[in-house]
Amino acid sequence: MSTMSVWNSTILYALVIAALLTVVIICAVTMKTAWKRCIELGYTKNQLMAVVKSTSVTTVLPSIAIIIGLFSLAPAIGIPWSWFRLSVIGSVMYELMAAEVSATSVGYESVAAVNAAGDISVIGTMMFSMSIGIIGGIIINIFAGKKIQNGLVTYRSDKGEWGALLMACFSIAMSAVFLPSQFLKGAAATATLLTSSLLAVILLSIQKKYNVKWIGEFLLAICLIVGMVSSVFWHNIFI
Amino acid sequence: METKKSSNYLDKVHRIGRIGSIVSVAFMLGIPAVICTIFDIWPSFSEIVAGVTPLLAIFLPVAISEVFSYTPILGTSSYIAFITGNIMNLKLPVAINAMQIVDATQGTESGDAISAVAVSFSSIITMLIIALGTVMLLPLEPLLSNPNVTIATQYMLPALFGGLFIPQLLNKNAGEYRIEGKNKLLAVPVILVLAVHFFVTSIVGKEGIIMLIAIPVTILIAYILYKKGIVKMVSRVETKKE
Repeated sequence: MSTMSVWNSTILYALVIAALLTVVIICAVTMKTAWKRCIELGYTKNQLMAVVKSTSVTTVLPSIAIIIGLFSLAPAIGIPWSWFRLSVIGSVMYELMAAEVSATSVGYESVAAVNAAGDISVIGTMMFSMSIGIIGGIIINIFAGKKIQNGLVTYRSDKGEWGALLMACFSIAMSAVFLPSQFLKGAAATATLLTSSLLAVILLSIQKKYNVKWIGEFLLAICLIVGMVSSVFWHNIFI
Repeated sequence: METKKSSNYLDKVHRIGRIGSIVSVAFMLGIPAVICTIFDIWPSFSEIVAGVTPLLAIFLPVAISEVFSYTPILGTSSYIAFITGNIMNLKLPVAINAMQIVDATQGTESGDAISAVAVSFSSIITMLIIALGTVMLLPLEPLLSNPNVTIATQYMLPALFGGLFIPQLLNKNAGEYRIEGKNKLLAVPVILVLAVHFFVTSIVGKEGIIMLIAIPVTILIAYILYKKGIVKMVSRVETKKE
Protein backbone atom coordinates (compact mmCIF):
# COMPACT_ATOMS: atom_id res chain seq x y z
CA MET A 1 0.00 0.00 0.00
CA SER A 2 1.52 3.38 -0.97
CA THR A 3 1.47 6.49 1.23
CA MET A 4 -0.67 8.31 -1.36
CA SER A 5 -3.33 5.58 -1.13
CA VAL A 6 -3.69 6.57 2.55
CA TRP A 7 -3.29 10.34 2.01
CA ASN A 8 -5.91 10.25 -0.82
CA SER A 9 -8.16 7.55 0.67
CA THR A 10 -11.95 7.79 0.33
CA ILE A 11 -12.40 7.62 4.10
CA LEU A 12 -10.12 10.64 4.57
CA TYR A 13 -12.10 12.58 1.96
CA ALA A 14 -15.34 11.68 3.79
CA LEU A 15 -13.97 12.73 7.19
CA VAL A 16 -12.61 16.01 5.83
CA ILE A 17 -15.87 16.87 4.07
CA ALA A 18 -17.82 16.15 7.28
CA ALA A 19 -15.45 18.34 9.29
CA LEU A 20 -15.56 21.23 6.83
CA LEU A 21 -19.36 21.12 6.59
CA THR A 22 -19.47 21.35 10.39
CA VAL A 23 -17.16 24.37 10.40
CA VAL A 24 -19.32 26.05 7.72
CA ILE A 25 -22.39 25.47 9.94
CA ILE A 26 -20.57 27.00 12.94
CA CYS A 27 -19.67 30.05 10.81
CA ALA A 28 -23.25 30.35 9.52
CA VAL A 29 -24.75 30.16 13.03
CA THR A 30 -22.30 32.82 14.27
CA MET A 31 -23.07 35.05 11.32
CA LYS A 32 -26.83 34.70 11.77
CA THR A 33 -26.59 35.53 15.49
CA ALA A 34 -24.35 38.54 14.84
CA TRP A 35 -26.53 39.75 11.94
CA LYS A 36 -29.63 39.67 14.12
CA ARG A 37 -27.81 41.64 16.83
CA CYS A 38 -26.60 44.20 14.27
CA ILE A 39 -30.23 44.85 13.23
CA GLU A 40 -31.23 45.22 16.91
CA LEU A 41 -28.40 47.70 17.41
CA GLY A 42 -29.76 49.84 14.57
CA TYR A 43 -27.64 48.88 11.56
CA THR A 44 -29.66 49.01 8.33
CA LYS A 45 -29.80 46.12 5.86
CA ASN A 46 -27.99 48.38 3.36
CA GLN A 47 -25.10 48.82 5.77
CA LEU A 48 -24.88 45.09 6.41
CA MET A 49 -25.02 44.32 2.68
CA ALA A 50 -22.25 46.88 2.10
CA VAL A 51 -20.10 44.96 4.60
CA VAL A 52 -21.00 41.64 2.94
CA LYS A 53 -20.14 42.95 -0.55
CA SER A 54 -16.86 44.44 0.55
CA THR A 55 -15.94 41.31 2.52
CA SER A 56 -16.67 39.08 -0.50
CA VAL A 57 -14.43 41.03 -2.84
CA THR A 58 -11.66 41.39 -0.24
CA THR A 59 -11.73 37.66 0.56
CA VAL A 60 -11.41 36.32 -2.98
CA LEU A 61 -7.75 37.13 -3.73
CA PRO A 62 -6.27 35.85 -0.45
CA SER A 63 -8.38 32.68 -0.90
CA ILE A 64 -6.91 32.15 -4.37
CA ALA A 65 -3.47 32.48 -2.78
CA ILE A 66 -4.45 29.63 -0.43
CA ILE A 67 -5.42 27.44 -3.42
CA ILE A 68 -1.95 28.05 -4.86
CA GLY A 69 -0.64 26.73 -1.56
CA LEU A 70 -2.75 23.63 -2.12
CA PHE A 71 -0.67 22.86 -5.23
CA SER A 72 2.48 22.79 -3.10
CA LEU A 73 0.97 20.75 -0.30
CA ALA A 74 -1.11 18.16 -2.20
CA PRO A 75 1.83 16.31 -3.84
CA ALA A 76 3.34 15.86 -0.37
CA ILE A 77 0.39 14.98 1.85
CA GLY A 78 -2.43 14.29 -0.58
CA ILE A 79 -5.47 16.39 -1.49
CA PRO A 80 -7.99 15.84 1.36
CA TRP A 81 -5.59 16.43 4.27
CA SER A 82 -4.11 19.50 2.49
CA TRP A 83 -7.65 20.79 1.86
CA PHE A 84 -8.53 20.32 5.53
CA ARG A 85 -5.30 21.84 6.86
CA LEU A 86 -5.58 24.96 4.71
CA SER A 87 -9.28 25.46 5.56
CA VAL A 88 -8.97 24.90 9.32
CA ILE A 89 -6.36 26.87 11.28
CA GLY A 90 -3.39 26.28 9.02
CA SER A 91 -1.45 28.48 6.66
CA VAL A 92 0.62 27.24 3.74
CA MET A 93 3.90 28.17 5.41
CA TYR A 94 3.03 26.33 8.63
CA GLU A 95 1.67 23.20 6.94
CA LEU A 96 4.70 22.75 4.65
CA MET A 97 7.03 23.27 7.58
CA ALA A 98 4.99 21.02 9.90
CA ALA A 99 4.92 18.22 7.34
CA GLU A 100 8.70 18.38 6.86
CA VAL A 101 9.47 18.60 10.60
CA SER A 102 7.22 15.66 11.40
CA ALA A 103 8.82 13.60 8.60
CA THR A 104 12.33 14.31 9.93
CA SER A 105 11.23 13.50 13.49
CA VAL A 106 10.61 9.89 12.40
CA GLY A 107 13.98 9.56 10.73
CA TYR A 108 13.33 10.62 7.13
CA GLU A 109 14.99 13.52 5.29
CA SER A 110 11.72 14.92 4.05
CA VAL A 111 8.08 14.18 3.24
CA ALA A 112 9.18 13.26 -0.27
CA ALA A 113 11.51 10.65 1.24
CA VAL A 114 8.59 9.19 3.24
CA ASN A 115 6.50 8.92 0.08
CA ALA A 116 9.41 7.45 -1.94
CA ALA A 117 9.91 4.80 0.75
CA GLY A 118 6.17 4.07 0.82
CA ASP A 119 6.24 3.96 4.64
CA ILE A 120 2.61 4.40 5.71
CA SER A 121 3.43 3.74 9.37
CA VAL A 122 4.64 7.34 9.90
CA ILE A 123 1.51 8.99 8.48
CA GLY A 124 -0.20 8.85 11.88
CA THR A 125 2.72 10.68 13.52
CA MET A 126 2.68 13.30 10.79
CA MET A 127 -1.07 13.92 11.03
CA PHE A 128 -1.05 14.20 14.84
CA SER A 129 2.06 16.41 14.83
CA MET A 130 0.61 18.79 12.24
CA SER A 131 -2.62 19.08 14.25
CA ILE A 132 -1.21 19.38 17.78
CA GLY A 133 1.55 21.80 16.73
CA ILE A 134 -0.90 24.52 15.72
CA ILE A 135 -3.73 23.89 18.15
CA GLY A 136 -2.45 26.23 20.87
CA GLY A 137 -4.29 29.35 19.69
CA ILE A 138 -7.74 27.72 19.64
CA ILE A 139 -7.31 26.14 23.07
CA ILE A 140 -5.95 29.27 24.75
CA ASN A 141 -8.76 31.30 23.19
CA ILE A 142 -11.40 28.92 24.61
CA PHE A 143 -10.18 29.77 28.14
CA ALA A 144 -8.90 33.32 27.76
CA GLY A 145 -10.94 34.88 24.93
CA LYS A 146 -14.03 35.84 26.91
CA LYS A 147 -12.01 37.15 29.88
CA ILE A 148 -9.82 39.30 27.61
CA GLN A 149 -12.76 40.73 25.72
CA ASN A 150 -15.02 41.34 28.75
CA GLY A 151 -12.14 42.92 30.63
CA LEU A 152 -11.38 45.35 27.83
CA VAL A 153 -15.05 46.22 27.12
CA THR A 154 -15.67 46.95 30.81
CA TYR A 155 -12.46 48.97 31.10
CA ARG A 156 -13.37 51.00 28.01
CA SER A 157 -16.86 51.84 29.20
CA ASP A 158 -15.65 52.71 32.74
CA LYS A 159 -12.72 54.90 31.74
CA GLY A 160 -14.35 57.24 29.22
CA GLU A 161 -11.77 59.13 27.14
CA TRP A 162 -8.80 57.06 28.34
CA GLY A 163 -10.73 53.79 27.72
CA ALA A 164 -11.44 54.79 24.11
CA LEU A 165 -7.81 55.79 23.56
CA LEU A 166 -6.59 52.51 25.08
CA MET A 167 -8.72 50.47 22.65
CA ALA A 168 -7.37 52.49 19.73
CA CYS A 169 -3.82 51.59 20.84
CA PHE A 170 -4.25 47.98 19.69
CA SER A 171 -4.79 48.90 16.05
CA ILE A 172 -2.13 51.64 16.24
CA ALA A 173 0.31 49.00 17.53
CA MET A 174 -0.66 46.78 14.60
CA SER A 175 0.21 49.56 12.15
CA ALA A 176 3.51 50.13 13.99
CA VAL A 177 4.47 46.46 13.56
CA PHE A 178 2.97 45.36 10.25
CA LEU A 179 3.83 48.40 8.12
CA PRO A 180 7.58 48.42 8.93
CA SER A 181 7.72 44.65 8.48
CA GLN A 182 6.60 45.07 4.88
CA PHE A 183 9.19 47.82 4.23
CA LEU A 184 11.85 45.48 5.60
CA LYS A 185 11.03 42.81 3.02
CA GLY A 186 12.83 44.71 0.28
CA ALA A 187 12.38 47.24 -2.50
CA ALA A 188 9.65 45.42 -4.41
CA ALA A 189 7.53 44.93 -1.27
CA THR A 190 8.09 48.57 -0.30
CA ALA A 191 7.07 49.81 -3.75
CA THR A 192 3.96 47.60 -3.66
CA LEU A 193 3.01 48.93 -0.23
CA LEU A 194 3.57 52.53 -1.34
CA THR A 195 1.49 51.96 -4.51
CA SER A 196 -1.39 50.52 -2.49
CA SER A 197 -1.08 53.29 0.14
CA LEU A 198 -1.02 56.09 -2.45
CA LEU A 199 -4.08 54.64 -4.15
CA ALA A 200 -5.85 54.50 -0.76
CA VAL A 201 -5.09 58.19 -0.17
CA ILE A 202 -6.35 59.12 -3.67
CA LEU A 203 -9.54 57.09 -3.29
CA LEU A 204 -10.24 58.55 0.16
CA SER A 205 -9.78 62.07 -1.25
CA ILE A 206 -12.22 61.33 -4.08
CA GLN A 207 -14.69 59.82 -1.62
CA LYS A 208 -14.55 62.88 0.62
CA LYS A 209 -14.59 65.48 -2.15
CA TYR A 210 -17.37 63.97 -4.28
CA ASN A 211 -19.20 62.05 -1.55
CA VAL A 212 -18.83 58.74 -3.44
CA LYS A 213 -20.07 56.26 -0.85
CA TRP A 214 -19.28 53.01 -2.70
CA ILE A 215 -15.55 53.77 -2.58
CA GLY A 216 -15.55 53.01 1.15
CA GLU A 217 -17.00 49.55 0.51
CA PHE A 218 -14.48 48.56 -2.14
CA LEU A 219 -11.40 50.58 -1.21
CA LEU A 220 -9.57 47.67 0.39
CA ALA A 221 -10.32 45.32 -2.50
CA ILE A 222 -9.28 47.88 -5.14
CA CYS A 223 -5.99 48.62 -3.32
CA LEU A 224 -5.33 44.89 -2.94
CA ILE A 225 -5.91 44.10 -6.63
CA VAL A 226 -4.03 47.13 -8.00
CA GLY A 227 -1.23 46.59 -5.46
CA MET A 228 -0.80 42.94 -6.46
CA VAL A 229 -0.86 43.78 -10.19
CA SER A 230 1.74 46.53 -9.61
CA SER A 231 3.91 44.07 -7.65
CA VAL A 232 4.66 42.14 -10.86
CA PHE A 233 6.02 45.36 -12.36
CA TRP A 234 8.02 46.24 -9.23
CA HIS A 235 9.35 42.69 -8.88
CA ASN A 236 10.67 42.76 -12.45
CA ILE A 237 12.35 46.11 -11.83
CA PHE A 238 13.96 45.41 -8.48
CA ILE A 239 14.58 41.64 -8.41
CA MET B 1 -33.49 45.68 29.06
CA GLU B 2 -30.81 46.70 26.53
CA THR B 3 -28.03 45.68 28.94
CA LYS B 4 -29.70 42.27 29.36
CA LYS B 5 -30.00 41.87 25.56
CA SER B 6 -26.36 42.88 25.21
CA SER B 7 -25.29 40.40 27.84
CA ASN B 8 -27.42 37.65 26.21
CA TYR B 9 -25.88 38.28 22.79
CA LEU B 10 -22.28 38.26 24.00
CA ASP B 11 -22.83 35.18 26.17
CA LYS B 12 -24.47 33.40 23.24
CA VAL B 13 -21.70 34.21 20.78
CA HIS B 14 -19.02 33.20 23.28
CA ARG B 15 -20.89 29.92 23.84
CA ILE B 16 -21.15 29.24 20.08
CA GLY B 17 -17.47 30.12 19.68
CA ARG B 18 -16.31 27.84 22.48
CA ILE B 19 -18.45 24.93 21.29
CA GLY B 20 -17.23 25.48 17.72
CA SER B 21 -13.62 25.55 18.92
CA ILE B 22 -14.04 22.30 20.89
CA VAL B 23 -15.71 20.61 17.90
CA SER B 24 -12.89 21.79 15.59
CA VAL B 25 -10.23 20.45 17.98
CA ALA B 26 -12.16 17.16 18.09
CA PHE B 27 -12.00 16.93 14.28
CA MET B 28 -8.32 17.91 14.17
CA LEU B 29 -7.46 15.06 16.51
CA GLY B 30 -10.31 12.73 15.58
CA ILE B 31 -9.53 12.51 11.88
CA PRO B 32 -5.95 11.28 12.50
CA ALA B 33 -7.31 8.88 15.14
CA VAL B 34 -9.80 7.34 12.70
CA ILE B 35 -7.17 7.04 9.93
CA CYS B 36 -4.71 5.44 12.35
CA THR B 37 -7.38 2.94 13.47
CA ILE B 38 -8.49 2.01 9.95
CA PHE B 39 -4.98 1.62 8.54
CA ASP B 40 -3.48 0.31 11.81
CA ILE B 41 -0.81 3.03 11.87
CA TRP B 42 -1.10 4.32 15.44
CA PRO B 43 2.13 6.10 16.46
CA SER B 44 3.67 5.65 19.89
CA PHE B 45 3.48 8.47 22.44
CA SER B 46 7.22 9.14 22.10
CA GLU B 47 6.90 9.42 18.31
CA ILE B 48 4.13 12.03 18.68
CA VAL B 49 6.19 13.94 21.26
CA ALA B 50 9.22 13.89 18.92
CA GLY B 51 7.10 15.26 16.08
CA VAL B 52 5.18 17.85 18.09
CA THR B 53 7.95 19.30 20.28
CA PRO B 54 9.83 21.31 17.62
CA LEU B 55 6.55 22.68 16.25
CA LEU B 56 5.21 23.69 19.67
CA ALA B 57 8.55 25.32 20.52
CA ILE B 58 8.10 27.65 17.57
CA PHE B 59 4.35 28.07 17.34
CA LEU B 60 3.07 28.01 20.93
CA PRO B 61 4.63 31.42 21.76
CA VAL B 62 3.15 32.74 18.51
CA ALA B 63 -0.27 31.31 19.46
CA ILE B 64 -0.17 32.95 22.92
CA SER B 65 0.85 36.29 21.45
CA GLU B 66 -1.86 36.12 18.77
CA VAL B 67 -4.60 35.47 21.34
CA PHE B 68 -3.58 38.50 23.42
CA SER B 69 -2.85 40.74 20.42
CA TYR B 70 -5.75 39.91 18.11
CA THR B 71 -8.63 39.11 20.46
CA PRO B 72 -9.02 42.78 21.55
CA ILE B 73 -9.48 43.73 17.88
CA LEU B 74 -11.52 40.71 16.73
CA GLY B 75 -13.71 40.35 19.82
CA THR B 76 -16.02 37.34 19.69
CA SER B 77 -15.10 36.70 16.05
CA SER B 78 -11.71 35.54 17.36
CA TYR B 79 -13.16 32.04 17.78
CA ILE B 80 -14.02 31.74 14.08
CA ALA B 81 -10.73 33.46 13.19
CA PHE B 82 -8.65 30.98 15.19
CA ILE B 83 -10.63 28.01 13.87
CA THR B 84 -10.27 28.95 10.20
CA GLY B 85 -6.83 30.57 10.37
CA ASN B 86 -5.27 33.08 7.99
CA ILE B 87 -5.81 35.74 10.67
CA MET B 88 -3.20 38.30 9.70
CA ASN B 89 -3.85 38.23 5.95
CA LEU B 90 -7.60 37.77 5.94
CA LYS B 91 -9.61 37.82 9.18
CA LEU B 92 -8.08 40.92 10.78
CA PRO B 93 -8.35 42.96 7.55
CA VAL B 94 -12.03 42.05 6.96
CA ALA B 95 -12.89 42.79 10.61
CA ILE B 96 -11.17 46.19 10.57
CA ASN B 97 -12.61 46.95 7.11
CA ALA B 98 -16.15 46.13 8.29
CA MET B 99 -15.85 48.46 11.28
CA GLN B 100 -14.47 51.23 9.03
CA ILE B 101 -17.37 50.87 6.54
CA VAL B 102 -20.06 51.36 9.20
CA ASP B 103 -17.93 53.60 11.44
CA ALA B 104 -18.18 51.20 14.37
CA THR B 105 -15.62 51.14 17.17
CA GLN B 106 -13.42 48.33 18.41
CA GLY B 107 -14.19 47.24 21.93
CA THR B 108 -17.91 48.01 21.66
CA GLU B 109 -20.74 45.60 21.06
CA SER B 110 -21.61 47.17 17.71
CA GLY B 111 -17.99 46.80 16.55
CA ASP B 112 -17.97 43.23 17.80
CA ALA B 113 -21.20 42.28 16.04
CA ILE B 114 -20.25 43.77 12.67
CA SER B 115 -16.79 42.12 12.86
CA ALA B 116 -18.48 38.79 13.57
CA VAL B 117 -20.66 39.17 10.45
CA ALA B 118 -17.62 39.97 8.30
CA VAL B 119 -15.29 37.29 9.72
CA SER B 120 -17.93 34.53 9.58
CA PHE B 121 -18.93 35.43 6.02
CA SER B 122 -15.30 35.66 4.92
CA SER B 123 -14.62 32.22 6.41
CA ILE B 124 -17.56 30.70 4.52
CA ILE B 125 -16.43 32.31 1.24
CA THR B 126 -12.85 31.12 1.74
CA MET B 127 -13.94 27.56 2.44
CA LEU B 128 -16.17 27.56 -0.65
CA ILE B 129 -13.36 28.91 -2.84
CA ILE B 130 -10.88 26.36 -1.50
CA ALA B 131 -13.46 23.58 -2.06
CA LEU B 132 -13.94 24.80 -5.63
CA GLY B 133 -10.18 24.99 -6.08
CA THR B 134 -9.80 21.43 -4.80
CA VAL B 135 -12.39 20.15 -7.28
CA MET B 136 -10.82 22.10 -10.13
CA LEU B 137 -7.21 21.42 -9.12
CA LEU B 138 -6.17 19.97 -12.46
CA PRO B 139 -7.78 22.48 -14.87
CA LEU B 140 -6.74 25.43 -12.66
CA GLU B 141 -3.12 24.41 -12.36
CA PRO B 142 -1.82 26.06 -15.57
CA LEU B 143 -3.44 29.38 -14.65
CA LEU B 144 -2.39 29.37 -11.01
CA SER B 145 1.12 28.20 -11.88
CA ASN B 146 1.58 31.20 -14.19
CA PRO B 147 4.76 33.02 -13.04
CA ASN B 148 3.03 36.42 -12.84
CA VAL B 149 0.26 34.97 -10.64
CA THR B 150 2.89 33.39 -8.39
CA ILE B 151 4.78 36.69 -8.12
CA ALA B 152 1.62 38.68 -7.36
CA THR B 153 0.59 36.35 -4.53
CA GLN B 154 4.04 36.77 -2.93
CA TYR B 155 3.25 40.48 -2.50
CA MET B 156 -0.28 40.08 -1.23
CA LEU B 157 0.50 41.36 2.28
CA PRO B 158 2.11 44.71 1.29
CA ALA B 159 -0.72 45.26 -1.23
CA LEU B 160 -3.30 44.49 1.47
CA PHE B 161 -1.74 46.53 4.26
CA GLY B 162 -1.48 49.69 2.17
CA GLY B 163 -5.24 49.66 1.63
CA LEU B 164 -5.96 48.63 5.21
CA PHE B 165 -3.71 50.70 7.45
CA ILE B 166 -3.60 54.02 5.60
CA PRO B 167 -7.38 54.65 5.98
CA GLN B 168 -7.08 53.54 9.58
CA LEU B 169 -4.25 55.97 10.29
CA LEU B 170 -6.07 58.82 8.53
CA ASN B 171 -9.29 58.15 10.46
CA LYS B 172 -9.17 59.86 13.84
CA ASN B 173 -12.51 58.50 15.05
CA ALA B 174 -12.61 56.35 18.19
CA GLY B 175 -16.29 55.78 18.92
CA GLU B 176 -17.75 58.87 20.52
CA TYR B 177 -14.39 60.66 20.38
CA ARG B 178 -11.90 61.93 17.86
CA ILE B 179 -8.21 61.45 18.63
CA GLU B 180 -6.28 64.67 17.93
CA GLY B 181 -2.57 63.91 17.50
CA LYS B 182 -3.27 60.21 16.89
CA ASN B 183 -0.34 59.59 14.58
CA LYS B 184 2.13 60.94 17.16
CA LEU B 185 1.53 57.65 18.96
CA LEU B 186 3.24 55.76 16.14
CA ALA B 187 6.73 57.23 16.46
CA VAL B 188 8.07 55.38 19.52
CA PRO B 189 6.59 51.93 18.69
CA VAL B 190 7.94 52.14 15.12
CA ILE B 191 11.41 53.13 16.36
CA LEU B 192 11.29 50.28 18.88
CA VAL B 193 10.19 47.75 16.22
CA LEU B 194 13.01 48.84 13.91
CA ALA B 195 15.52 48.72 16.81
CA VAL B 196 14.44 45.14 17.57
CA HIS B 197 14.83 44.26 13.90
CA PHE B 198 18.29 45.74 13.44
CA PHE B 199 19.81 44.99 16.87
CA VAL B 200 18.05 41.91 18.23
CA THR B 201 16.31 39.74 15.66
CA SER B 202 14.45 40.06 12.37
CA ILE B 203 10.80 40.92 12.93
CA VAL B 204 9.72 39.56 9.54
CA GLY B 205 7.60 36.48 10.21
CA LYS B 206 7.50 37.22 13.94
CA GLU B 207 4.96 40.05 13.84
CA GLY B 208 2.60 38.24 16.24
CA ILE B 209 5.28 38.04 18.93
CA ILE B 210 6.53 41.61 18.36
CA MET B 211 2.93 42.81 18.91
CA LEU B 212 3.28 41.69 22.55
CA ILE B 213 5.98 44.36 22.96
CA ALA B 214 4.41 46.99 20.70
CA ILE B 215 1.00 46.97 22.45
CA PRO B 216 2.15 47.87 25.99
CA VAL B 217 4.66 50.39 24.60
CA THR B 218 1.92 52.08 22.54
CA ILE B 219 -0.41 52.14 25.56
CA LEU B 220 2.34 53.66 27.76
CA ILE B 221 3.17 56.34 25.17
CA ALA B 222 -0.55 57.06 24.70
CA TYR B 223 -0.99 57.50 28.48
CA ILE B 224 1.97 59.88 28.73
CA LEU B 225 0.95 61.97 25.70
CA TYR B 226 -2.70 62.02 26.83
CA LYS B 227 -1.77 63.22 30.32
CA LYS B 228 0.53 65.89 28.86
CA GLY B 229 -2.28 67.07 26.54
CA ILE B 230 -0.29 66.32 23.38
CA VAL B 231 -2.90 63.73 22.37
CA LYS B 232 -6.43 64.94 22.99
CA MET B 233 -9.77 63.13 22.96
CA VAL B 234 -12.41 65.42 21.45
CA SER B 235 -16.08 64.55 21.74
CA ARG B 236 -17.74 64.01 18.37
CA VAL B 237 -21.05 65.73 17.52
CA GLU B 238 -22.95 62.63 16.30
CA THR B 239 -24.18 59.96 18.69
CA LYS B 240 -22.43 56.67 17.93
CA LYS B 241 -24.01 53.24 18.26
CA GLU B 242 -23.07 51.48 21.54
